[in-house]
Amino acid sequence: MDYLYDGSFDGFLSCIYHNYKSKNTSGIYEKNLYQYSIMNDYMIIDTNSNFADIVYNAIETKISKEAMNMIFYAFLSCEKDKDNRILKFIEFGFKKGKIAVDMYTNDCVFPMREIYTRVAREEHNFLGFLRFSDIGGILYAKYSPDNNITVLITEHFADRYKYEKFIIHDEKRNIASVYANERWQIVDASSINTVSLTDDEIMFHKLWKEYFTTLAIEGRKNINLQNQKVPRRYRKNIVEFK
Amino acid sequence: MSMNDNIFEKLKILADAAKYDVSCVSSGVDRKNNKVGSIGNASAAGICHTWSADGRCISLLKILLTNDCIYDCMYCVNRVTNNVKRATFTPEEVAELTIEFYRRNYIEGLFLSSAVNVSPNYTMENIYRTLLILRNQYNFGGYVHVKVIPGADPEIIRKAGFLADRMSVNIELPSRESLKILAPQKKAEKLLLPMNQIKAETQINQEERKKFKSIKNVKSFVPGGQSTQLIIGATNDSDSTILNLSQSLYDKMSMKRVFFSAYMPVISSPNLPAISTVPPLKREHRLYQADWLMRFYQFKSDELFTETEKNLDLEFDPKLTWAFRNINKFPIEINKASYEDLLRIPGFGVLTVQRIIKERKAALLSYDSLKKMRTALNRAKYFITVNGRYYGGVEIEPEYIKEEIRQKEIREQLSLFQLL
Repeated sequence: MDYLYDGSFDGFLSCIYHNYKSKNTSGIYEKNLYQYSIMNDYMIIDTNSNFADIVYNAIETKISKEAMNMIFYAFLSCEKDKDNRILKFIEFGFKKGKIAVDMYTNDCVFPMREIYTRVAREEHNFLGFLRFSDIGGILYAKYSPDNNITVLITEHFADRYKYEKFIIHDEKRNIASVYANERWQIVDASSINTVSLTDDEIMFHKLWKEYFTTLAIEGRKNINLQNQKVPRRYRKNIVEFK
Repeated sequence: MSMNDNIFEKLKILADAAKYDVSCVSSGVDRKNNKVGSIGNASAAGICHTWSADGRCISLLKILLTNDCIYDCMYCVNRVTNNVKRATFTPEEVAELTIEFYRRNYIEGLFLSSAVNVSPNYTMENIYRTLLILRNQYNFGGYVHVKVIPGADPEIIRKAGFLADRMSVNIELPSRESLKILAPQKKAEKLLLPMNQIKAETQINQEERKKFKSIKNVKSFVPGGQSTQLIIGATNDSDSTILNLSQSLYDKMSMKRVFFSAYMPVISSPNLPAISTVPPLKREHRLYQADWLMRFYQFKSDELFTETEKNLDLEFDPKLTWAFRNINKFPIEINKASYEDLLRIPGFGVLTVQRIIKERKAALLSYDSLKKMRTALNRAKYFITVNGRYYGGVEIEPEYIKEEIRQKEIREQLSLFQLL
């Protein structure tokens, strides 16, 4: 029986809960992306935050906090079929316990570690690559990450720009985190129109570009390395490359 | 807004003048945003905000406060007798530029150096004032690294140390002889004095903070430690001299980092390499590799050289060279070796070694499982056994292994050629 859920993390964990009780899942899929067919029997699982909490705690205590972290990161990834990879990993983890995460060569574990590393790497990269513009007292940043990392990076900026107000806009997924007065939440971003820049803002863009081009040492040019480190697909939102 | 058109010109000149100060790290200090109304925190891991055309990570606004210098160091483009455009920032301008870049997440913080203008004290005062404005007026909690000007009043240096995350005094050149010839105004004793001061103050501060652990917010003195920089290739000093110096700086001065900067010929002089000299980038790369071996792989500098070889090999990296010279220590059995021994295997990084130790606890490792873990085996395979079996394919003799590596390089170049 295929389980279908609403795409939220609580929804996913609700499926895990259901499977624990009925032990009959043949796979977990997001409702909106599912290929309906005569061959496969499916069931829509309601999102229940109480059940989700139970699963969350069970994973943290019976496997480990590290495992839970890996699972959350994998859930945010753009990996195809992440839901079923995570399912396999959870089943394996409940069998083996804490040591599961260290079994690098196991087929359930190794892909999870790879996905985790990829998402964590993109998260760390965007702490650096994200660029804000001052749009009348509010800091606004736009980006197109491969993975759904807005929830991961917002905390860092919430501390750094504690007394500012900011918006981090994921234009690929049409969502944004909005921060003000020490609180933030994820909202639908379809209402955000293109933002036009003030003169001051244009000046700072120019200053930064000037600085950026000036400090490269001619005798050490290494464009290949630069291309490797700052992927082309990110550059449309990075000031110095525009 | 205190910015005006002048700012562009100043930034161009003073960023250009600072580019040979290669220290670029923003790591080493973890700090949350604590003060009310403040901006900024610091990340211990360091964050790269972008990469320049020369392949270097940029995480700080790195500028000189001024390039107007009273000294005449022969290797330096800013020396007083050189005909370059001069510019000077005010502390207010630097602080404002830093904050505005920081708010937009262009940088982690500021790296402020300076030519020696008017006098060491005058210069250090201005550096200190910039720190004051940033920390007290803007409540800036981000990362700040400042240069210390040798000869400045210890009291200003001390006050600045409570506002900065890292401080450095540039050692400039690897030996007293080279200093005498190329930078006679920078005496070795004068350079070591502030280094010793920073080291001593740091120790006193650490003890005080231990004592008063219960009192929150006891100020830290230079929490990121001190670093220094050496120009390499401007003189005849060997790599052995350079790394022995590094080793004693790490041991005796509690130096956090020693940076090497390949000499870029900017002027002609009988005491310097010809202006057509190619900058020794490969050599600089080898020195950094050796530096990492010393800091993370438990190597001592004298292990990397012999009576006759006082320079690092350019063809093979320092770890590989050491392995060739100590070939009797190999092969090392992966499933039994200690952490220290595993660190010595060419091609194995610290993370790989830690992974092996972890995985070993769960199951015996096989060559296949190592490959599955994406372990880099193209060098290591010549130096290890896995469950007693050797997978290197040749006798464990330096000449045979070197030949294998060279052949592989040639094959890889050819296959790239065929792709083009």
